Amino acid sequence: MSELVISSLSISRSELPVVTEINARVESGSISVVLGANGAGKTTLLEGLSGIIPVASGTIAIDGHEIQTARPGQRSREGLAHVEQGRTIFSQLTTEENMKVALRDGSDLSEAYGLFPELMQRRSVRAGLLSGGEQQMLVIARALLTRPKVLMIDEMSAGLAPVIVSRLMAAVRKLADAGLAVLLVEQFAALALGIGNRAYVLRRGRVVYDGDCKTLLRSPDELHRLYLGG
Amino acid sequence: MNSFLTPAIAGLTAGGTYALLGVCAVFTYRLVAVVNFTGAAIGSAGTFALIALTEGGYPTFPSVIAGILVGAAVGVLIGFIMTRWFAEANPSTKAAVTAALLVGLIAIGLRLTGGQHPRVMPDLFPGSAFRMAGVEVTIASVLTIGLAILFTVLSDLFLSRTRIGLHLRALSDRPLAAELIGVKVRLLSLLVWGATGAFTTFALMIIAPQRSPNFMTLSLLVVPALAAALVGLFRSFWLTLAGGILLGVLEGLASSVDSIAQYRSAIPFLVILAVLLWSQREARWDDAR
Repeated sequence: MSELVISSLSISRSELPVVTEINARVESGSISVVLGANGAGKTTLLEGLSGIIPVASGTIAIDGHEIQTARPGQRSREGLAHVEQGRTIFSQLTTEENMKVALRDGSDLSEAYGLFPELMQRRSVRAGLLSGGEQQMLVIARALLTRPKVLMIDEMSAGLAPVIVSRLMAAVRKLADAGLAVLLVEQFAALALGIGNRAYVLRRGRVVYDGDCKTLLRSPDELHRLYLGG
Repeated sequence: MNSFLTPAIAGLTAGGTYALLGVCAVFTYRLVAVVNFTGAAIGSAGTFALIALTEGGYPTFPSVIAGILVGAAVGVLIGFIMTRWFAEANPSTKAAVTAALLVGLIAIGLRLTGGQHPRVMPDLFPGSAFRMAGVEVTIASVLTIGLAILFTVLSDLFLSRTRIGLHLRALSDRPLAAELIGVKVRLLSLLVWGATGAFTTFALMIIAPQRSPNFMTLSLLVVPALAAALVGLFRSFWLTLAGGILLGVLEGLASSVDSIAQYRSAIPFLVILAVLLWSQREARWDDAR
């Protein structure tokens, strides 16, 4: 059982606190969803977890091993994969080359093609020429090939057609069912709560809800109140 | 005819060196996104290590190896500064930093090597390789051009066929995304700086006997090198190679015409100006409309 444990984590940007005293746990085989309005600190949280920006205080541990001071590459080798928002493909490389960059000992391209067979037909195409949906599949597949224990995905559905979003959500659920710990940041709360197990709602950098996804999904008024306060 | 052919062929040695320095500049720009003004100064450091060792009575071959290692080490040092403190800076800032480092390297180099007083540089490859149209082609010419072609071919093959090359291409495309999937960004960046430092050093060792071998003169070879890189628009290794050789030939030809011989060192600036005007022509056309 792999798990990511976040304890009393605070992150600042330009010395201004953006995320404050966050406690969270992401367990193997489950999807933890992070929700919140724009500016709530969701992306900052993921960037702090993956080492893009330094944490001000607190700890991040994967399977009990603390990684909060490690560089992003080291955190990746420890089993933390971060799919950034904005579909960060290597645009000059082909689809298959994008995936080969991420290959580790024991990982195989067939895993990626198994999850997204669409990419197989597009394997020789320069990634910059793929559609938005295909690019999102590619970055998730690429992260998967690093053999992560924890997969963090930021705003996966942004700018994509509903049918593609549903396809991606199903794939993420499949990954969790196969034993991966998933931390999903999403603007579209209903979709994310529909596949998630545990939800965290952030407001102004603090966790204002920590509980079951289904409970929140059944109470849209409560979700609205958590987003906006009051 | 011969009065033009002789200086043109004489310019091939310089052309080969410009080409190699230019290809190294493109390599550095494409892979670590830095317009590197220190390239020739790094090579100068290695070349002067060779001079110091041979003046100290050490045999030539081990001194060449030691000089190349010094060039690689200085390259890694500059690379360390760039990756440690300026990795996230924009390209203009990075270029400005390397220009500042060039000034620093020249100052240190002149201090350590006795100012602008020329030193005795061993001629590593003396003599003629063959005659062409009645003109002697030196071994140095053949070697510098051969080395430039070899570096160009190796760069292309390395980037397209090897796993490290693939990682370097990913790194040049999106450094942060590459690091997030575990690519060893700093290590690879330092590898690029070290390799270009070593190649640059060897090129300068070949050309130094034909120049006034003082630290400043050799370091300022970065100007024709960057002009060659600009011909390749900092992307094409082969256009850069051609641009470097052409620059050398043009300089050679200019030196044979008395009225313009003294201005031949301005040729790289004219090339830079011409390429910039040509490459910006669409923007100027759009502005005019």
